[in-house]
Amino acid sequence: MAVGAGDPVRTLYRALLAYGAFGILILVAGVAEYVHFEPFTTSATLHAKVVGVYAYDPAGKQTSGADRERFARNEDFAAVVDWSGLPDNITVEAVWFDSFENIVGSVGPGTPSRLRDQTIVPAEAPKGLKYHLPGQYIFAIERLDNGGRPVEVIGRRVVYVER
Amino acid sequence: MRAYGVPIAANPRPRNRPARYVLAVIIGVVVLLVIAGNSLLDYVFIDTIPGRATLYGLVAVALIAVGTYIQARAFNRDPVTRRRHLIRAGVLLGLAAMLWLLVSDLFLFAQSAGPGVAAVCALACVPTTAFGLWVVRRIDRNEKEPWRLVLVAAAWGAVVATSLVIWAETFWDEVAVNTLVPGPGLDASNAFSAGLFEELGKGVAVLLLFLVMRHEFDDVVDGIVYGAAVGLGFNFMETITYMTNLYAIFNPEGSGGIAAGFQWYARQVLGLFMGHATYTALVGAGIGIARQLPSRRQKVIAILTGFVVAIAAHFSWDAWLTFFPIETSLFGLVEVHLRTIVMTGPFTAGVIVLLVIGLRNESRALYDQLRKEAAVGAGAVLPAEVDILASPWRRFGERLRALDKAGVGAYVRLARLQTAQLDLAMERWHRERQEIDTPLEAEQELRGEILTLRRQAAF
Repeated sequence: MAVGAGDPVRTLYRALLAYGAFGILILVAGVAEYVHFEPFTTSATLHAKVVGVYAYDPAGKQTSGADRERFARNEDFAAVVDWSGLPDNITVEAVWFDSFENIVGSVGPGTPSRLRDQTIVPAEAPKGLKYHLPGQYIFAIERLDNGGRPVEVIGRRVVYVER
Repeated sequence: MRAYGVPIAANPRPRNRPARYVLAVIIGVVVLLVIAGNSLLDYVFIDTIPGRATLYGLVAVALIAVGTYIQARAFNRDPVTRRRHLIRAGVLLGLAAMLWLLVSDLFLFAQSAGPGVAAVCALACVPTTAFGLWVVRRIDRNEKEPWRLVLVAAAWGAVVATSLVIWAETFWDEVAVNTLVPGPGLDASNAFSAGLFEELGKGVAVLLLFLVMRHEFDDVVDGIVYGAAVGLGFNFMETITYMTNLYAIFNPEGSGGIAAGFQWYARQVLGLFMGHATYTALVGAGIGIARQLPSRRQKVIAILTGFVVAIAAHFSWDAWLTFFPIETSLFGLVEVHLRTIVMTGPFTAGVIVLLVIGLRNESRALYDQLRKEAAVGAGAVLPAEVDILASPWRRFGERLRALDKAGVGAYVRLARLQTAQLDLAMERWHRERQEIDTPLEAEQELRGEILTLRRQAAF
């Protein structure tokens, strides 16, 4: 039996197809958003060096100990960056993202030579909280375009804050 | 086709199992393999406590699969063997539930907040989810789906679907975090992962019900009911996970209870029908519409479209949530509601539109079939009963009259009679549309059953 003009299921089928077209529009918009923020114009030769992630003393503004991947919630930590290997015709920024993807520490933006003295990038507890959030923290050194939009991650470290 | 007569058998297959069972078995095997693969990969590569839990949880998943199968098939057996099979299924499902809760509490939730907090969170979600399931089942006003299938759908959403997506999402997340620029691009990537894997994991349940329990899956209304039930089950487990996780995060700051309470409100009150229930209802709507389409091509298009809309709806919430930031002031409370209504409301409205059209179609068809059955004169439906049976309120009124005259027993007996009469009308509808593969004898048996129920219901 074919879906005839008078069959009420035809109305449902058409409505569903209309929803489907709307759904495809949403997904296309999602792909466009992804491509906009993840442009395929990366420079594979550009790499920033993250020396390590260390325990950090906020009072003395110094790191200590060995390079680590795990920290306690009440422990302060910071990444150390070596800006020297980067050309000076780019704009970069170093950013800490917590497990909720909030920015909890940053240096820049600026050219590598301007950031030469800012090698230590501490991660801070979110505003209003005493401790770091548990979970995965991303430290990313991003290359920015002329409009200040991050277009590429040229250095990255992932550390975990224990519960 | 003879009008006002007993229609001919559309596509009777009295002996052989329909081909759709083969497809159901293939999907079932794939699901089990994916779950097994998930757990093993988690155990080997991630080596976290939740990873181990998913491996131990495999036993629970296997018990649920076997128990569900026995329970579902039990209703196609004669009453004597049915009871034995139901007991077996009950024991297996009970064992699975206990084992799963033990695994979850001890290894997953207890890890973050402790078993006491996990238990409180789970208990807080039970009444709201139960209310949601009750409402979802009630909206099918003409022929309510059996509780056993609604609960099986919810259990799949809570236990099986959540297990199905763990590894896929973890793997996607690991790759994305180590390759993408944090920000909207990463958000979009994670939203694609959640939309795709979670809707596939939940939608498989509705697809299996469509393939295996065809006689309980009539149209778009049933698809929406089963889909929403799966979504409510998934939402139940996800809420517990988020509540315990946020409790553990914010408890050292002294605001663990508030954080968990806010999650409960956002997911179990505000988002009860607007989140996962809506998404999976869209999958169910696609499958329900496919149920009544004539060609295989149209069926496939309808099912795929349902999945696409559900994935898009889920994606839009996860990806664009950050574009609607919530202020920390009192106005933030208003914003939370507005955000949910603006972002998920249109999809929920879309489900409601399909539901209303589906209910209207169903009501008209049932009225038509009741009229035709009454005209046959077989006594299963009397001419005087047609208008009453076609109206949910008048049916209820009749049952109340029975209650008033002869007590609760009479109410129950009349309810059974009305249900069987509507089942017959539904069967006739499907046969007239040539979308049924049960033999004509089944319809004749149903008439005989109705006559027996009529004698029992007499007061």
